[in-house]
Amino acid sequence: MSAAQLQLVSGVEGPTRTLHLWMRQRDRLRPLFTATWEILSQRFDAAEMDAWAGAVLDLANVNAGPSCLIAYWDASTSDGATEIAPLLGAARSGAEICRHAGAQAATDAFKALSAARRMLGSGAALSRWWRTMEKLATQAPESLAATAHHMAEILRPGTIAAFESFVAAGLRTAAGDRRKRLAFFSLQDELAQRMVARDPGAVTFSDVETELKAFLTALYGEVPLLRSISTDESAQTPQRRAAIAGPLIRLPEIYRGVQDDAARALFRAAAAHAQAHLALGRARFAIGQLKPLQVALVNLIEDARVETLAMRRLPGLRRLWAPYHVATPTGVATAPMLLARLARALFDPDYVDADGFVGKGRALFAAALPRLDEHAISREIGMLLGNDLGQMRVQFNAKTYVVEPLYRDDGLGLWDLGDDTTSSAETLELFIEALRPEQQESSDGPPREQDAANAAAEPGKARPAGPDERGVVIARYPEWDRVDAIERADWTTVREVAASLGDAGSIDQALEQASVLRGRVARLVRSVRLGRTVRLKRQQDGHDLDLDAMLDAGIALRSGETPDLRVFRSAKALHRDLSALLLIDTSESTRDRLASGATVLDVERLAVALLAEAMEELGDTFGLLAFSSDGRDDVRMTSIKRFSEAYDRDCRARLAGLSAGLSTRLGTALRHAGGVLGKASTSRKLLIVLTDGEPSDIDVPDPFDLIEDARRAAIGLHAQGIDAYGVVLGRAGVEAATRIFGRRNTMLVHRVEDLPARLSELYFRLARR
Amino acid sequence: MILDSYRIATEPYYQPQGQEIATFLAAYHERLPIMLKGPTGCGKTRFIEHMAWRLGKPLITVAAHEDMTAADLAGRYLLEPSGTVWHDGPLTLAVRHGAICYLDEIVEARQDTTVVIHPLTDARRILPLDKHNEIVPAHSDFQLTISYNPGYQSAVKDLKESTKQRFIAIDFGYPPPATESAIVARESGADADLARLLVTIAERSRNLQGHGLDEGASTRMLIHTGRMVRAGLPLPVAVQSGIVLPITDNPDIRAALSDAIEACLP
Repeated sequence: MSAAQLQLVSGVEGPTRTLHLWMRQRDRLRPLFTATWEILSQRFDAAEMDAWAGAVLDLANVNAGPSCLIAYWDASTSDGATEIAPLLGAARSGAEICRHAGAQAATDAFKALSAARRMLGSGAALSRWWRTMEKLATQAPESLAATAHHMAEILRPGTIAAFESFVAAGLRTAAGDRRKRLAFFSLQDELAQRMVARDPGAVTFSDVETELKAFLTALYGEVPLLRSISTDESAQTPQRRAAIAGPLIRLPEIYRGVQDDAARALFRAAAAHAQAHLALGRARFAIGQLKPLQVALVNLIEDARVETLAMRRLPGLRRLWAPYHVATPTGVATAPMLLARLARALFDPDYVDADGFVGKGRALFAAALPRLDEHAISREIGMLLGNDLGQMRVQFNAKTYVVEPLYRDDGLGLWDLGDDTTSSAETLELFIEALRPEQQESSDGPPREQDAANAAAEPGKARPAGPDERGVVIARYPEWDRVDAIERADWTTVREVAASLGDAGSIDQALEQASVLRGRVARLVRSVRLGRTVRLKRQQDGHDLDLDAMLDAGIALRSGETPDLRVFRSAKALHRDLSALLLIDTSESTRDRLASGATVLDVERLAVALLAEAMEELGDTFGLLAFSSDGRDDVRMTSIKRFSEAYDRDCRARLAGLSAGLSTRLGTALRHAGGVLGKASTSRKLLIVLTDGEPSDIDVPDPFDLIEDARRAAIGLHAQGIDAYGVVLGRAGVEAATRIFGRRNTMLVHRVEDLPARLSELYFRLARR
Repeated sequence: MILDSYRIATEPYYQPQGQEIATFLAAYHERLPIMLKGPTGCGKTRFIEHMAWRLGKPLITVAAHEDMTAADLAGRYLLEPSGTVWHDGPLTLAVRHGAICYLDEIVEARQDTTVVIHPLTDARRILPLDKHNEIVPAHSDFQLTISYNPGYQSAVKDLKESTKQRFIAIDFGYPPPATESAIVARESGADADLARLLVTIAERSRNLQGHGLDEGASTRMLIHTGRMVRAGLPLPVAVQSGIVLPITDNPDIRAALSDAIEACLP
């Protein structure tokens, strides 16, 4: 591109123009930039290029430096970069890395991107990769370059989960020691090397999660809550056991050394056992004065008890568990050995063991069989046996003891920790130490600054915005002055505020918990997709005869009249020609908590996520926009999903990152939404506004002014051919909403909890018209 | 008589689960329309056949589909060499000559079609045939029964409120395990143990209802599977082809269901 062309481009408003101007002063970079721009503008349209230019500017603003920019351009023009969204995400993460670990680290990260793309593709896995790199940049800035350097090797296991656990393991093993960390991430460390050694048959928790969940639901009729525990990959520590925590079942991320079908079977065995505790056992033992050995034995008996109960109902479970009972009645009678033998003896009636202790355990358990439904028997028998074993003076080391067989859980979930004091607590501590070497969850990095700022803000009050938080001004709109009855031009200012990213996983989780509703919506989607044909009668041609038309024609013929020859029936597919924009009110009042403990915003978020999923599935064009306001000069719009974007993990992260605050200047938001929606080229344009009350703002004392303004804005939308629809949460705002949108275009949701169901239904109803 | 071919000669087997027979008899006594609700394959059709036999009335069954028009129910003029001839539809036949008319899966029909039954289901008990310029008063034996699977229920396919509220409803569910195994044993000829096992297997699939499956395995499915076993197929194969494969196409759910069924087998 020549200088003349640069001149030409600079006529365009926005980041593109700024970037080109900026480039004009940089002779060294310019040739490369123009080449990059040329390649990219063939791939992406103007709006996308604009976003890309913005991303480059963001990088330049954090002083990324020329080599980093070049690295980003290289990454942008490489063959793998076919979509704009991952590129923008890359620039965001690059800037974040640059901020924490310096420009060189960001440059290296961009250079490692091609390796990451090769292994992980450009979807959700790649954004998780960036997320992990950011985490590394904040927690181990010195090691980022080394990691980037070895990226191809580190990613050899081929899954993003492996990379995440690699980074987590590195951060943990080094425990703050920079030298150790550097050694780990440059693969000098033995553990690091072992972790990247490829294991093609490995089955991870995430591979089997869906299947396990359905399996347990089918078995016991209750939907389990499954989570993974990150495992320590080093071979020195014993294999992790499953764990129960309240209603949660936590399974190891991976069972080391177990592969393919064997690993799947082991996951099933472990899950079926743990869920048996929850579905059939439901025991909570008080720790009292029990010694570690007794605790272990109570666990063992309880395991045998719930398994016996489960196998009475489902005899085939025996086949699932049997392969793991491999203890033999030979060898040294150490405590762990004896416990494993006892476990087998209680499980397997054909197992022969002459040992007195094992025999006694069997006899006691057999005697208690009629009372199998009481969990008290586990404690009774466990204590008796514990005394016996204590008197036999066999060694028992609570610190090194692990539950056998492999599929059983560590047993800690059965114990009521309560507020017990000293001795008992110590006993359990010993166990916890031994069994849960790494208990703390790896957090998803430090919360972002904005979140922290939000959290620090006094809840319950609309707070004034600091000047730095104000976003980019994107539009000005008029507002209706009710008192003077005139429209004041350019009265309000709309600023675009970049979304803060939350954890997209939390959305997925909420959706999973709402699985019944989700299924209902999915059925709606299916029925709409299937039933999208209309039958046409009395057609000129078609695939079969219209009986009634035939008869009429026949009658006409006989009575000497001219028959109507349109005697066919045909079917026509209906095309959906619709774009929808969802406008989400995130004002302060959405912070209110409901009886369930969730905030109004949480419910809004779930409702939106549910609907978004459906709309994406249907292939409808849709956008998600959140708004709040802080006076007429600061109406904030946060784009969660643009029309052109795919609804991906990033969008869900932005949705999860929404926070409540400030006020509701609805009229301006409506005008802005009208502007956004007005550009859509579909024949039907639908705007759904989700709000929990009447409009208000800090600089308008009489809320009626804003209601009137919003009403005029809604009328304006109607004139533009946009159907605006108000969904009001709770009775308080219904009067205002009826006034604004009209009675027919307002839906009141009495119970906020019903919103997810009602919102999706509303959409389907509106979209059918 | 004109409806003789619609009469049921031998008693269809039906195992009562609750008060449904008494409810039906009372409703029939008052000639009130009845709605049978319940998942697929749980015995709705068998029940109505049994009741028609018990009452000694002919039964006219119409399976509703989305192409069905009001004329398909009420009747239309047909052409014959001598001219046009009015031909009663199945509903008119039942109304005129006194039969139980059973509209199966009524929600499948378009909503404008279902409105035809409105005058029949209130105190008027008439069927207006506007094309034939006739009002057919219902025969004293006439009774209308519809079936309706709430599993399909959605904002798109649901009965109109004005239709729903005309009916006496009887809710069908899967019978209790003991009853269900007796039904499976009788209908499929399987022995009691096998029948019990099949019912345990069905429970596994019903647990997944709403969590991967739209509906669990029906009693009918169990009977079919039992018959496959009786025809000499090994149980695991019969279960696979009779239950797991028809019920879902999702590989994860299929694997999970197979594993859960595996846990039921002795």
